[in-house]
Amino acid sequence: MINANLKGSLHALIAPLGAIALTMALGFLLVAAISDEPVLAYRELLFANFDSLSNFALFLNRATPLVLISVGITFAFRAGVFNVGGEGQLFAGAIATTVVGIAFAGLPAVILFPFAVIAGIAAGAAIGWVPGILKVKLGVDEVVVTLMLNTIVLLFTSYLVNQVIRDTTAYGAVSWKLPEHIWLPTIPGIPGATSGFMVAVVLSLLSWVVLFRTHWGAEVRSAGTNLRYAEAVGIAAGNRVITAMLIAGGFAGLAGALYVLGIGHRFEQNFSPEYGLIALTCALLARVNPAASLFTALYYALMLNGAAYMQISTEVPRSLVMLLTGLLVLLMTARLTRKGSNSQTFDAF
Amino acid sequence: MSYESLLASVLEQSTPLVLAALAAMITLRANILNVAVEGMMLVSAFSAIAVGSATGSALAGFSAGIFGAVGTSLVFSIITLRFGAGFIVAGLGINLLAAGGTLFALERWYNSPGGLRPLGFPEMWHVPEGSLSFIPLLGPALEGQSIIVLLTVLAVPACWMFLYRTPTGSYLRAAGEDEHAARSAGINVVRMKVLAVTISGLFSGLAGAQLAMDKLHFFLPNMTAGRGFIGLAATLFGAGHPWVTASAAVLFGFFGALGDRLQAFDIPAQFVLMLPYLVAILALTFSRWRIYVRNKPAKL
Amino acid sequence: MGHDNILVLDGITKKFGDIVALEHVDLSIRRGEVHVVCGENGAGKSTLMNILVGIHAPDGGKIVFNGKETTIRDPLAAGAMGIGMVHQHFTLVPSMSVAENLFLGHHLRHFGFFSDRQAMVERAGTLIDTYSFALDPEASVRTLSVGQRQRVEILKALVFDAELLILDEPTAVLTPPEVEELLKVITNLRDRGRTVLFITHKLREVKAVSDRVTILRRGKNISTHITKAVTENDIARDMVGRDVFLMGRQGQGARAFGKNVLQLENVSITNSNGRLLLDGINLDVRAGEVLGIAGVDGNGQTELAEAIAGLIPVQAGTIRLDGTDINNASVVRRQEAGLGFVPEDRLDRGLSRNMSIAENMAATNYLRAGILWRGFVDKGRLAEFTQKGIEQFDIRGAKPSLTVGSLSGGNMQKVVLAREFARDPKVLLVSQPTRGLDIGASEFVYSEILSAADKGNGILLISSELSEIFALADRIAVIYSGRIMQILTREDADEETVGILMNGGKEQAA
Repeated sequence: MINANLKGSLHALIAPLGAIALTMALGFLLVAAISDEPVLAYRELLFANFDSLSNFALFLNRATPLVLISVGITFAFRAGVFNVGGEGQLFAGAIATTVVGIAFAGLPAVILFPFAVIAGIAAGAAIGWVPGILKVKLGVDEVVVTLMLNTIVLLFTSYLVNQVIRDTTAYGAVSWKLPEHIWLPTIPGIPGATSGFMVAVVLSLLSWVVLFRTHWGAEVRSAGTNLRYAEAVGIAAGNRVITAMLIAGGFAGLAGALYVLGIGHRFEQNFSPEYGLIALTCALLARVNPAASLFTALYYALMLNGAAYMQISTEVPRSLVMLLTGLLVLLMTARLTRKGSNSQTFDAF
Repeated sequence: MSYESLLASVLEQSTPLVLAALAAMITLRANILNVAVEGMMLVSAFSAIAVGSATGSALAGFSAGIFGAVGTSLVFSIITLRFGAGFIVAGLGINLLAAGGTLFALERWYNSPGGLRPLGFPEMWHVPEGSLSFIPLLGPALEGQSIIVLLTVLAVPACWMFLYRTPTGSYLRAAGEDEHAARSAGINVVRMKVLAVTISGLFSGLAGAQLAMDKLHFFLPNMTAGRGFIGLAATLFGAGHPWVTASAAVLFGFFGALGDRLQAFDIPAQFVLMLPYLVAILALTFSRWRIYVRNKPAKL
Repeated sequence: MGHDNILVLDGITKKFGDIVALEHVDLSIRRGEVHVVCGENGAGKSTLMNILVGIHAPDGGKIVFNGKETTIRDPLAAGAMGIGMVHQHFTLVPSMSVAENLFLGHHLRHFGFFSDRQAMVERAGTLIDTYSFALDPEASVRTLSVGQRQRVEILKALVFDAELLILDEPTAVLTPPEVEELLKVITNLRDRGRTVLFITHKLREVKAVSDRVTILRRGKNISTHITKAVTENDIARDMVGRDVFLMGRQGQGARAFGKNVLQLENVSITNSNGRLLLDGINLDVRAGEVLGIAGVDGNGQTELAEAIAGLIPVQAGTIRLDGTDINNASVVRRQEAGLGFVPEDRLDRGLSRNMSIAENMAATNYLRAGILWRGFVDKGRLAEFTQKGIEQFDIRGAKPSLTVGSLSGGNMQKVVLAREFARDPKVLLVSQPTRGLDIGASEFVYSEILSAADKGNGILLISSELSEIFALADRIAVIYSGRIMQILTREDADEETVGILMNGGKEQAA
């Protein structure tokens, strides 16, 4: 029994690891073609993150929003909603926290801090709720709605940050700084690393328990795999789907809140290198498992930050990582056999 | 401003959107939600500028744009239809790959991550003045426009002809609507889907070439700025019908053109730019709501 | 032979892995006859037809068509040879016109590139007139009724001049008047020189339409008869291998029952056009009783089941479970009040194929079976509970952690039964419990249902298989067009009466 389970989980690892290995190999060929020092470039890409404590701190900071968003997306996917709206939900959370933090800067931290965080979560959840309710009540395609909402939210934050809360002393589309008393503390011993990372780790493990070890989690997964079955066995399936989308949006909103409170300390219109899309990649690579997406998010943070070190040390441009991400997303759901779909995969995606 | 010049500016503004919408439409008819239009447009815009400036030939640049997008569409076909990847995930992958690939090329070979602005760039072929004046209203509006604008105006009825008046178009619709029925009638469903994706590559290629080559003559990272998604919204709004889809795209283009004007009335540009996306969500919701109401059980 | 055979099958064998689907089947079809192949589910009828149209290749034996030994590569090749197939599931494109559908894949052309729509409409019109089908060639298929769609499906085979027309269970989706129409169409086709191979397991149709009948049982052909020379009971005996009507409770006499556990009073449901899908249904089921709902599919059975289960609201009337009004109760409330529900389609409402057997079996039992501890799942108790169900219902190849999708149809159905029976519900609503199951699995399901009744559970059995109703039911209610025509006790019911009622009580059974 244990052996069979182990075999099963090993088997489940082959496809994502294969896609990662293939992508890294293709990337290496590309680097080798344009650079004299491909090995150095790859060393920098993967290991420079551990060269110093400050590099490591940046690495953890990069991972934090990725972990949170991809765990949130996991809830949506498990409930059968293909949520491509992580980016919009993230921005909604970040801007809401910023607006609250700036508008009520005079309040003491004990009140303002939770208020700002809750505002971020609520804004993200609200953006997640829209596609959820539209899908459940009317069957509107969630992919289109979430894609459109991303642009709408980004335009809205662009308006706020340019016209309303813009820091007129700074260059670019950035807001005023948040009051220092609600900044998130750093992790003790790692200067510069946001303690938001600890929150992300705890929440990802907690999410695994909720999804796979509680009755509620079983109900969400039932609704996600077969809505009509879920109804017939007495699950309030629509309700579960909407709740899962609220959670997904809430997680992305929290990611935005923790980003401005712990890393950026202000809202910047260009703070996200497509975190939403990369987090979706992490969630799918982790086979829609919140605990596993902790690791895929860390892997991605490694690459995103490593690219900068790679560019400094060798002449390989950092946009290599974006290229590799594209390749990985492209290859991720591909299968070598034509009809090789097994019951573990998410056929609909 | 005369009607002709107003029409001319709306045509120019909305051409990339109409082409993106047709690209998404043709795949939607084969039951593929094509989010990769954005990426294919970007590849086309980049190849058009890169090759056009290197060769000094507008035709070479134009062809490179088309080939770039069609090539990308083939990658999309192979990864989804041969290797079974999901259309949405693979489409998002294509977009990332296009964005990353063009940026990578800019950084690596042109050393200018900010964009590619060649000093001199060959002019596109334009519709000669007076050549179409025999067509009322539309003729004068087309004169002086790039050849791609003219092609786009022709592409809409051509798409309609193809889908509703040719056997292949009919089979493509059948493959999209009911795969089982199509297959049992001897139609090669995979081939139809490849055809749809390839045509969508062609339209995306035209869209990207128009965007970069017509007036701007340069390439910027992410210069497509979501036009592929607006095209998708127009298609869903038009339920895959060529005329409605194209009209929706023109309307969305009109909102874009309106954006600058409305700022004079203190309405921020961002809110005007949001309109097509908001309209798309509302329109989709409304059409589903109507179906919902129609299917409700009647009162006794 | 003396006869002109259009098709001869000689020793056809087909295996799927270890399972022998067909074993040395011989069949000869005479030109211009209507030949019925009948047999129980799983007897090999579908496999045989799939071989004839080239979907499966036989592992042994030969096919002789029009005097020549042939191999049939694929459905297109079959069509080109003159074998046309009318599938049980329609292969029509709803948004296209009748004419477009008829010529799908073979459009007539103008200038080699454009569709010649006018020519197609004309050709379709001629064809429709030839067979006097009332159809508008330019009407979109979406607007047609199921019966009309089936006629389009038949025409599709005739466009390319099929000599041999195979109809696979064509009456399964039709209402009784549509069945009558179809039987006339088949006779008409024969009169025009076509050969028709008709697959069914409904005895009445066999008698009504065929010249000869071949019976398959467990992958072997048992017998071929001239239809006139045999009775329905003879055919039934060959199909099942013994006297069907001796199964189950037949001949046991009246049993004693308890109080009413399920009551329906004037229950009505409409569709969006205002048509009544259920029209004033009055029913009651007593403890320990099996009430069978007999009827042709599509006469309101689905709505009846979903209304009782709480999945669709009723527009009028009252549903009582054990005396309490459950009209406005949620699905869970109804379960708690003692309702068990086995849906008609296990992969639709019954199971989630991508989830584990354990999670499927526990779905309605988490609280009752003590699997939960403060909302958390006790994995040990879950495995224990599932293992018990697997053993009790003899679910082969099952382990709690495997996905349900890895099981065969019969074993999937057992997972549903194990889940619902585990709660020992006061009322068990069982819909089409043996659809798609082989005889062995069906018998197991029968005995489980009967022993549940013996324990005192009230059972509402909805089935379109008359033999099933007769084997299990203490009383038989016949549903037609959303109405209960009559309720008979098993002693008073015979197949002829029930058959007449199932068809609206108007025509004489053949």
